[in-house]
Amino acid sequence: MTPVTGIDFARITLRDALDLAVLIEEEARDRYVEFAEQLAAHATPEVADFFARMARIEERHRAELLERRNILFGSARSTLERRQIFDVEAPGYEEARAFMGVRQALETVLAAEVKAHAFFNEALPRVKDPELKALFKELRDEEVHHQDLVKSQLARCPEKPDDSEAYADDPVAQ
Amino acid sequence: MNALLAPNDYKSPLKPIWCPGCGDYGVVQALYRALSAVGRPPHEIAFISGIGCSSRIPGYTTAYGFNTVHGRALPIAQGVKLANPDLLVIVAGGDGDGFSIGGGHVPHAIRRNVDLTYLVMDNQVYGLTKGQLSPTSPRGLRTVTSPMGSLEQPINPLLTVLASGAGFVAQATPADMPGMTALIEEAIRYPGFSFVNIQSPCITFGEEEQQLKAHKARMKPLASLGHDPANQLAALDLARAYGTEIYTGVFYRNPSPPPTYDALVRERQAELQRGERRPRARVLDAFLKG
Repeated sequence: MTPVTGIDFARITLRDALDLAVLIEEEARDRYVEFAEQLAAHATPEVADFFARMARIEERHRAELLERRNILFGSARSTLERRQIFDVEAPGYEEARAFMGVRQALETVLAAEVKAHAFFNEALPRVKDPELKALFKELRDEEVHHQDLVKSQLARCPEKPDDSEAYADDPVAQ
Repeated sequence: MNALLAPNDYKSPLKPIWCPGCGDYGVVQALYRALSAVGRPPHEIAFISGIGCSSRIPGYTTAYGFNTVHGRALPIAQGVKLANPDLLVIVAGGDGDGFSIGGGHVPHAIRRNVDLTYLVMDNQVYGLTKGQLSPTSPRGLRTVTSPMGSLEQPINPLLTVLASGAGFVAQATPADMPGMTALIEEAIRYPGFSFVNIQSPCITFGEEEQQLKAHKARMKPLASLGHDPANQLAALDLARAYGTEIYTGVFYRNPSPPPTYDALVRERQAELQRGERRPRARVLDAFLKG
């Protein structure tokens, strides 16, 4: 199962690669916005705030990449579309839980950063152009940096048992 | 790939209120992408649903929507399609809505072959009403209405629709988003009644082995098994594994789709307008005039 469709990494251009990176950040931003909304609607405000903060971080990454892309290529229309990428850096929908704790949320983010790193790492051997290779390496290594940031937050976050199941009703006859 | 409409153009401002972790979030996201690939604008699309968690989908799109009554999505969708055949009509609902309360409508919608796409989000439980036994619940499942385990044999949605003669039958899971998106798109493009059973687990009342993480480990794409979707008998055989295997992909696609009911209705109307067929009133006139 590939998280991108219709992209040939052997023939991708620098502009395509930057557009892809922008879309990946955009998808992650939107997913964290959705998670924040879901958890705010399900009485988990602390984690909703955390995911809203993550959405702002991903938006900052997206804006930085977009600026870089626009400096190089102006307003030339992207040939890639959002519907070609699937959960590259965005955590899967199954990761959100009502009443999840901040620690669990951090673990979700860490797994998403690991996933994004794996994506760029797997794409790298297929990229031929040296300039592109350098960009993919940079994007991959950026994910390592993000992982380190999340790990340091995890280290400061107290271990707390996941009590998300404690609120589920037991099956009882009605 | 330069569609004018992006997936988010199909996303309404209404926020889904499904439980966090619900499979339906992935389904609606796949729908947005499939619709973007098909490229029909929202005002040319109608979503018809029944009642249940998954039946909330019409509200989450910018297309026309009708959240109807329990189990009656298919009759209303057929009426919508016949009244306005140019609309792309998509029916969404759950396993209870489709195969219990609305079960009687399924074979008739199929045999009429109205050009509809029917997406069933099969979570094997009534989630919205807090976890009762549904028609696809596995035997032995403990729920609030089967505290000691279900004694019933579940309905097999895939066999049911195949046996009724559906021209396009597929199964998807949100555990494979690219696969599910491609299947929904293919179902929409199929000229006739198309059915996609989506194994969309209930995060709150569903079993652990039915959740997406388990799907990721267990699912088997039919393409990897060398299945030929034109082979209806092989499709029936594979469909028997519902409940034990999670096969994903196209079970059956009629290689020679018959004319749709809506196309036949248009043809009949054209014949009437050309005077090639006598309307009933004129048949009576013929008798009266001798």
